[in-house]
Amino acid sequence: MRIRTLFLLLLTSLLSFQTLFAQDRATVKVSGEVTKPLQLSLEDLQKMKPATAVLKDRDGKEHPYTGVAVSDILTLAGVTTGQQLHGENLAKFLLVKCADGYEVLFSLAELDAAFTDKQAILAYQLEGNALPAGKGPFRLVVPGEKRPARSCQQVVEMVIRFAKD
Amino acid sequence: MKHQLAIVIVAIAAVIGLGASGIRRATPLTLVYPANFGNRISIPDDNPMTEEGVQLGRRLFYETRLSANNRVSCATCHQQAKAFTDGLRFSQGVDDTPTPRNAMSLANLLWVRNFFWDGRAKGLEAQASFPLTDPHEMGQSLAVSAQKLQADGRYASLFAQAFGTPQITGQRIVQALAQFERTLISANSKYDQYLRGEYQPTTSELNGLQLFFSNPNAEKNIRGASCGHCHGGPKTFIELFHNNGLDTVPADKGREVITGQSIDRGRFRVATLRNIALTAPYMHDGRFANLEDVVDHYNEHIQPSETLSTFLQGNQGGMGSAMSGRGDLQLGLTTAERKDLLAFLHLLTDSSFIQDKRFSNPFIP
Ligand code: HEC
Ligand code: HEC
Repeated sequence: MRIRTLFLLLLTSLLSFQTLFAQDRATVKVSGEVTKPLQLSLEDLQKMKPATAVLKDRDGKEHPYTGVAVSDILTLAGVTTGQQLHGENLAKFLLVKCADGYEVLFSLAELDAAFTDKQAILAYQLEGNALPAGKGPFRLVVPGEKRPARSCQQVVEMVIRFAKD
Repeated sequence: MKHQLAIVIVAIAAVIGLGASGIRRATPLTLVYPANFGNRISIPDDNPMTEEGVQLGRRLFYETRLSANNRVSCATCHQQAKAFTDGLRFSQGVDDTPTPRNAMSLANLLWVRNFFWDGRAKGLEAQASFPLTDPHEMGQSLAVSAQKLQADGRYASLFAQAFGTPQITGQRIVQALAQFERTLISANSKYDQYLRGEYQPTTSELNGLQLFFSNPNAEKNIRGASCGHCHGGPKTFIELFHNNGLDTVPADKGREVITGQSIDRGRFRVATLRNIALTAPYMHDGRFANLEDVVDHYNEHIQPSETLSTFLQGNQGGMGSAMSGRGDLQLGLTTAERKDLLAFLHLLTDSSFIQDKRFSNPFIP
């Protein structure tokens, strides 16, 4: 038992040592009004419950994407979702930031299963393959919108805040 | 005991009195700019705009004593007549090593949040300490700069007027510089006059404007140069980082150096095109000597790479004259269309900005 814990400790420290140097390991940071800030890698996302969403791309055809429901990521970070999404928490928003500096905004309610059936996902696969260069490794897929402008590509950060007004 | 109390009270009263008379409040300054620029501006809470702060900042912008050899000021590389650039590919500071990148034009910085070609500095206050202390630019620590200004009696009162007390500190130097830079608003080009309904563009200029902001669409027979994806809106820039196809293997990795992510290779901040006819040479390395070369670049020399912006791919659309193989990287603009696009770029020159006395060298009467 002890040896196993020791081994695990050694393994995790080795792993974190490796991440220090593997500077290119892409991650999505989740911060702001969270109880648990996250830095999610592809492996982390693959360990979560998969979800799919369909998006009409530039070619006019519908393509199936696989990833993780944004609301699951928010719940993991301790954001007020589901039962907790009431009162002043309805004045919170999610700002999604992409590598090129592009930013899009959602109110928490429009992402929450308690409010909507349209489940936005953070996708890491398109038709079973990793996302193509330029779009991935992570892209938001927001189903049911007429313009794909909020299905933004190369997501690097998700920030949750209170609207201040 | 009673006496002591009285003394304390008198002392406190004296301090309060001094405070009331000795500390002058600087005059708040409200910046005026066109509504179509939007209000996503950045003025930090701890550095509000004041008349006196801007005056001081202007002086410091032209102050050569902020450099190690007393010969270089911000204005050495950012000259008003050239819309605050220096006309060089790479700039010369206090030593013989040229800067690794082209000096950027300074206009409408109020709307910028991440400064430099790679966006490495958040805010103008943080930005200013880079050139001040870089050994190849001005080469002097903020502490030494503060000492040198202290030695000149006039500065203490200028700092007092701007910040309430005469202390000269590195932080106040960069704050005053930032205040001055926030006033560098360029919004009176012929293009602005056109937007205000005060100027009627020529046919060529209008066609150039149309091309600039349109995306080509073969089905609808729309011709376009797709510049607006990145240089969109009346400010002619969106704060985005893109690889605009200069090289397949970039010598300067740009934003990748800051983020450590290979998806950012060769990405640079989208530059403002305000006063662009005055700020040659072009791009982060000043590789293009004139705007004709820039238009040729976008029209037919986009270099493919993993990180090439998707906005610059698949453009062939309605443009016709694409060559085989790399067709989707070509705009296929005709000679006349290139001329029109250039005419529009020249429409962005704001001659009142480069002559505005509020931005000129205060040491020259
Ligand atoms: C030796 C030449 C030189 C001097 C002196 C100099 N600069 Fe610059 N400046 C540059 C160069 C080169 C860049 C672009 C550098 C980069 O992106 O890495 C730049 C960029 C900037 C930017 C960024 C603009 C933007 O849109 O992001 C600002 C602001 C600026 N300088 C202000 C100043 C101020 C204020 C001073 C004086 C304290 C100053 N500069 C002194 C050469 C100079
Ligand atoms: C994909 C986004 C994108 C598109 C589309 C785009 N640009 Fe740019 N532009 C940039 C970036 C990024 C830079 C800075 C690149 C660098 O210096 O490495 C830039 C720089 C420039 C510069 C030089 C600015 C300077 O101060 O040196 C000019 C001029 C210019 N673009 C004109 C145009 C025109 C004209 C079009 C349309 C034909 C266009 N751009 C389309 C992203 C874009």
